[in-house]
Amino acid sequence: MNDGLAGEHQSGAMQVVMIGLGEEKFALDAGLVREIIDPVPVTKVAGARAFVPSVINVRGNVIPLADLRIRFGMPQLDNSADTRIVVIELELDGEPVLVGVTADKVYEVTEISQTDVQQTPRVGMHWKPEFIRFIAKWREEFVIVPNMERILN
Amino acid sequence: MSTMDPTEVFRQEASELFEVLEGALLDLGQRPDDRELVDSAFRALHTIKGSGAMFGFDKVASFTHEFETAFDRVRKGEIKPTQELISVALAAKDYIRALIEDPQSTDDIIGEAILDDLRRFVSSDRPSAPVAEIAEAPPLAPNESRQAGWHLYLEFESHILRNGSNPLDLLEDLCKLGPCFVVPVTDGIPFLDEMDPEDCYLKWDVKLHAACDKDAIDDVFMFVQDEMKLTLSPLAQVEAPAPAPLFQLLDEEPAPPAETVAQVMESAAPVAAPPAARPERKAEVASEPKSDIKPETAPARREDAKQERGIATVRVQAERLDELMDRVGELVIAQARLTQLASAGSDLSIKMIAEEIERLASSLRDTTMGARMVPIGSLFGRFRRLVHDLSRDLSKPVEFVTSGEDTELDKTMIECLADPLVHLIRNAIDHGIEDSATRAANGKTEQGRIELAAVHSGAQVLVTVKDNGGGLNTARIRAKAEEQGLIAAGAVLSDHEIHQFLFHPGFSTAQTISALSGRGVGMDVVKRTIENMRGSIDLSTRPGQGTIVTLRLPLTLAIIEGLLIRVGEGRYIIPLSAVEECVELTAEDERSRGRNFLNVRGNLVPFLRLRELMAASGAPDRHQKTIIISTGETRVGLVADQIIGNHQTVIKSLSKLHSDVTIFSGATILGDGTAALILDVAQLVAMAQSKVEKQHISEAA
Repeated sequence: MNDGLAGEHQSGAMQVVMIGLGEEKFALDAGLVREIIDPVPVTKVAGARAFVPSVINVRGNVIPLADLRIRFGMPQLDNSADTRIVVIELELDGEPVLVGVTADKVYEVTEISQTDVQQTPRVGMHWKPEFIRFIAKWREEFVIVPNMERILN
Repeated sequence: MSTMDPTEVFRQEASELFEVLEGALLDLGQRPDDRELVDSAFRALHTIKGSGAMFGFDKVASFTHEFETAFDRVRKGEIKPTQELISVALAAKDYIRALIEDPQSTDDIIGEAILDDLRRFVSSDRPSAPVAEIAEAPPLAPNESRQAGWHLYLEFESHILRNGSNPLDLLEDLCKLGPCFVVPVTDGIPFLDEMDPEDCYLKWDVKLHAACDKDAIDDVFMFVQDEMKLTLSPLAQVEAPAPAPLFQLLDEEPAPPAETVAQVMESAAPVAAPPAARPERKAEVASEPKSDIKPETAPARREDAKQERGIATVRVQAERLDELMDRVGELVIAQARLTQLASAGSDLSIKMIAEEIERLASSLRDTTMGARMVPIGSLFGRFRRLVHDLSRDLSKPVEFVTSGEDTELDKTMIECLADPLVHLIRNAIDHGIEDSATRAANGKTEQGRIELAAVHSGAQVLVTVKDNGGGLNTARIRAKAEEQGLIAAGAVLSDHEIHQFLFHPGFSTAQTISALSGRGVGMDVVKRTIENMRGSIDLSTRPGQGTIVTLRLPLTLAIIEGLLIRVGEGRYIIPLSAVEECVELTAEDERSRGRNFLNVRGNLVPFLRLRELMAASGAPDRHQKTIIISTGETRVGLVADQIIGNHQTVIKSLSKLHSDVTIFSGATILGDGTAALILDVAQLVAMAQSKVEKQHISEAA
């Protein structure tokens, strides 16, 4: 993780997909993102952990659909015209796993400058610090770069 | 298309040949007089030798050659294949396999030891009479003036191996000049920690019993002359018969010339047979027209067999078959969607196409599944060796009988089945079969019997391991379970329930821990492996008469027949193989809220309300349906809102993130493209049972 960060620092910029969850903006590392799809019918999985409540069919694969809003204690909005599913690929226990993430809105693919990276403040946050890789500044706004591996484990 | 590594091709071919060889050797143990078996073992050996040399496995070729030589007397019918001989032959087979698969791990010393054993057995019952002559040795003219031969002392420079020379090859060349008696001089070998693995420390003392001149010997060492010291002295006189027939030893005892000729010709392989000998050999063949064991005919037959095989089968990499299966799975899903769309519309031609594609897809699916099917006999073959070895190690004579080898199973299942079966068979021999004395005391035959059978039963395959041993000791299992605190002392349990403790992790009733079993690791793993394959395991035992373990397995892992049901808004699949019947939940059952028992033709069957389990929203349908599922003996009812119908289910595994969800074994994709979950029958049954037990406890309290 640290090595990856160091590499990104040197290159100066990081490609991200900017998504909106509730009032907040999150930046997902574009390297993780496989595709962005319109909402599809979901299948609830009884007994699953709250933040991965269902599965969806993405091109013949049944993948879990995670809800970051639950992990960050945000209200769950109903699907709107802007709602998308961002399919990301993560390494969990050394195996690649495809996961869908519900986003209230997907803004754009952009670059955030490494010089704008802020260390996560210890206080003044109502989210678990381990869920956050770092906070960066983007167009006069602070965006959160989440640590997806931690969030989903 | 990727080209295959020729070495890999050889390895695959060899591993098939090893199975043939092992099978033949083991059969030979049972039927020592079967010439056909000796021949098939020999053919396998010969092919391994031939292709081994072709692909540069020189060690394999030379060792196999030695093996063949030693075994030659068995082929000629001079000695009977005893159990000991078979054991050594099996060890030799293992060694060749190791040479091919992992040459680094083997050691020439082991090979030499095996060969020594082999030769000892082969020659043990031999009178002072002729020692086998082998193909490569040029037949000696019997009336040639006898020269004693040569005594050689070979000392190579230590770096000789680095130049690519192999002293052993030179020794072999030397042997071609005539019978050799080679003794390695091991004085110069340093301690292990000082040893350089790339140096040659051995020296050799060779007695060459051949009437050749010095030049012939010098020729052998022509290329290494500068790197060695060769001391050559003529042997003073004919040495007394060499101590043991070690290296292609030809008896030097004076024999009447005619006899020697006949002997040489009889034993020489066809290729090397001197032309003069041909007519006589032919005559011999003619005189025994029935015998098909003549060395001359064997290679030809092998060629035939090989050609037949080449036409009949194509070797395909396993991964390609898996990929094909995935694609077919996707096609089946796409086809289901097309069918649904077509039936919703009114276009006749689209409907016809959809039907056509449905038919094609289902036959394509069947064909692909068929291509992945492998007869289970390939697996059974491996256990014969296991039984053979165990029976020897434990000195319990055991007869091993297999049936239903033709039963076909998905290849991935065959792979998964190997370990559980090894366990069950070990258990059967170690715990099941009593020792000979006990058996005799109980009026049983001294030889135990283990039967391994596979049989089709509907959409399932039953694999049974049956022994005629002492049966399970129910009292002891019970005592152990109480000791481990799994049950309260004095609890009322059926024998069947008590036997289930055997599947408990860490449970072992063996009083002493042996190398084979008794550590209590195993049966739980067996059970888990079988359940992961969506199979089940049953035990039945009769005291004093033996135990039968039955594994019930689905035919394939990739696609199942499922029953599609609806619970609230959600749709779920129940594997059809587990479904016994569907009944309506009567108003009476509905009312008995507290009990959760159904009355199915006089039997009490506990039921689970899937609506509660799935936390379904919305109002339940008025007429609830119950699907009775079963695993082995236990039956459980599942209450659903609606039974939709059967569904070809392409199984997709659930992601890691859902590994904590136990009531679903996987997922599939329905005709409209949504995902549906497949219920894990075994888990649901266990859940219902524990619920019943809890109820018992609360009622008792």
